Amino acid sequence: MKRLSATPWGVYSVWHRHAKVYQRTWLVNFLPPVTEPIMYLIAFGFGLSPLVGDITYAGQPVSYLRFIAPAMIAIGVLFQSFFEGGYASFIRLNFQKTWQALLTAPLSFTEVFLGDWLWAATKGMIAGSLTGLVAVIWGLYSPLNLLLSLPLMLLGSLLFGAMGLLTAGSVRQIDQINIPIFLLIIPMFTLCGTYFPRETLPPFLHAIATVLPLSSMIDLLRWNLGLQPYWWLQLLWLITLMLIFVSLAIRKIYPQLVK
Amino acid sequence: MLTLNPTTDTTALVAHALSKQYGETPVVQDVSFTLNFREILGLLGPNGAGKTTIVGMLYGGVAPSRGFVQLGSTQVQSDGRTARAKMGIVTQEDNLDPDFSVFENLLHFAHHYRVVGKAARKRVGELLAQVRLEEHAQKRIDELSGGLKRRLVLARALINHPHVVFLDEPTTGLDPDARQEFWKLVIDLKQQGCGVLLTTHYMDEAQRLCDRLLLLQQGQVIDQGTPIELIDRTIGKEVVEIEGVDEATLQALATQFNTWCRPFGSGYLLALPLVPTPLWDHLVAAQPQRLTRRYANLEDVFLRLTGKVLE
Repeated sequence: MKRLSATPWGVYSVWHRHAKVYQRTWLVNFLPPVTEPIMYLIAFGFGLSPLVGDITYAGQPVSYLRFIAPAMIAIGVLFQSFFEGGYASFIRLNFQKTWQALLTAPLSFTEVFLGDWLWAATKGMIAGSLTGLVAVIWGLYSPLNLLLSLPLMLLGSLLFGAMGLLTAGSVRQIDQINIPIFLLIIPMFTLCGTYFPRETLPPFLHAIATVLPLSSMIDLLRWNLGLQPYWWLQLLWLITLMLIFVSLAIRKIYPQLVK
Repeated sequence: MLTLNPTTDTTALVAHALSKQYGETPVVQDVSFTLNFREILGLLGPNGAGKTTIVGMLYGGVAPSRGFVQLGSTQVQSDGRTARAKMGIVTQEDNLDPDFSVFENLLHFAHHYRVVGKAARKRVGELLAQVRLEEHAQKRIDELSGGLKRRLVLARALINHPHVVFLDEPTTGLDPDARQEFWKLVIDLKQQGCGVLLTTHYMDEAQRLCDRLLLLQQGQVIDQGTPIELIDRTIGKEVVEIEGVDEATLQALATQFNTWCRPFGSGYLLALPLVPTPLWDHLVAAQPQRLTRRYANLEDVFLRLTGKVLE
């Protein structure tokens, strides 16, 4: 159907609108969230490194800072793309009615949706890349590693952005966004092998943590330290989850706009 | 600017048998109409009559259960994006971008129509002049009054020189001066050749602006015509508002003089027959607390047809 079709210009135009808003308010919106994973890196790195020393990862001893650096990139991606897709899109959908306004222009629902989704992913990419850049400057991740990890960060940004959009489409009140944050985002942030290898968890928790998408994302971003034997399954898992979340998000948001 | 061939291009838009149902509840039932260029067509009805749902179906924001909308050679339901490129849509809700200035709101919206760079800045300047907002160009949205915001939403709808413009209750909540200002802009659009469709529950707005009206009740068109036709056909010329006389007396008089009577506010409304009768003298003789004789208006038409006043 033509109404579900998308042109590159339409998608870009919606993305461009969000980017222009961001450009206007970047000092407020940009610095605090981006500094968050960098602060974790600095605080846990300096604070815990002397206590932990080296860690054994994939059968190799690794310094604690080199261990957590890829995880901090993933955290930047997770927080920024999820919050943009969840919180900011909810505001645009329910308070500012931006989506409704865009649909009075010659834009299709698909274009408005894709523009929003890509913008959420862009925010994830900005945070992930800047955290990665700090890791590179610190000598914790090589520039080539960072460059080759960009497609992986994009996949993670799209996945977590889609989770955010599903949240925006599902919740009725803004406070309800806390539900996925406390039930999903915070457990992922703490349990998915961010600050310690998941193997130290009890088997039951270990199994749950491994299924959560941030684990796959972090494991894959640690490819320079060694990959899991089932790394291709992890990649497939991220792609599958992304497709599931994005189709659920469309199903939730479309009926709110085209009644 | 808009160029039209006056001999062949008279029909701007056709709505074919539009119906909308939510679950078992019908909201709009079998509504058909034509909107012409150089015309203001009004959808007049109380809140909940289905006006906004009809406008939604006209631009693709609401999917009809049955029926379709044709804009020139484009069918809105199958190609909404192409159709919307030729439409100007002013929705009821205020959905301006609070993060942008007045100027930027128009500039960034023009981007969606592929109007960018110098051309966009030029067009924004023209639009600000058209809706008389030049001196507010750099203001933030929260610094604008309700009337100025509505004018900005209208300007935003006009970016692409649309041939048809939909205004969904554009003056609701505005003070009388702001409404007058907005009405002038709507008349300008018509004079430029646009077909304008306006929904309203203000009788004076419909009477003052609209060339033709569709009267809506519970999703159905109950009558249509020019405001004068509707008043003449349904009411006649004059009505009487009367208080302090019991209904039985008034109904008896109405029957005697072959006219009608309806409860109206704290009293009753009676139509005066077109031919001279002694009805007025009878009413005076009944010694009412209040008795007013005035010209009939669209509110009376609505009361006569539906038994209800416009909310």
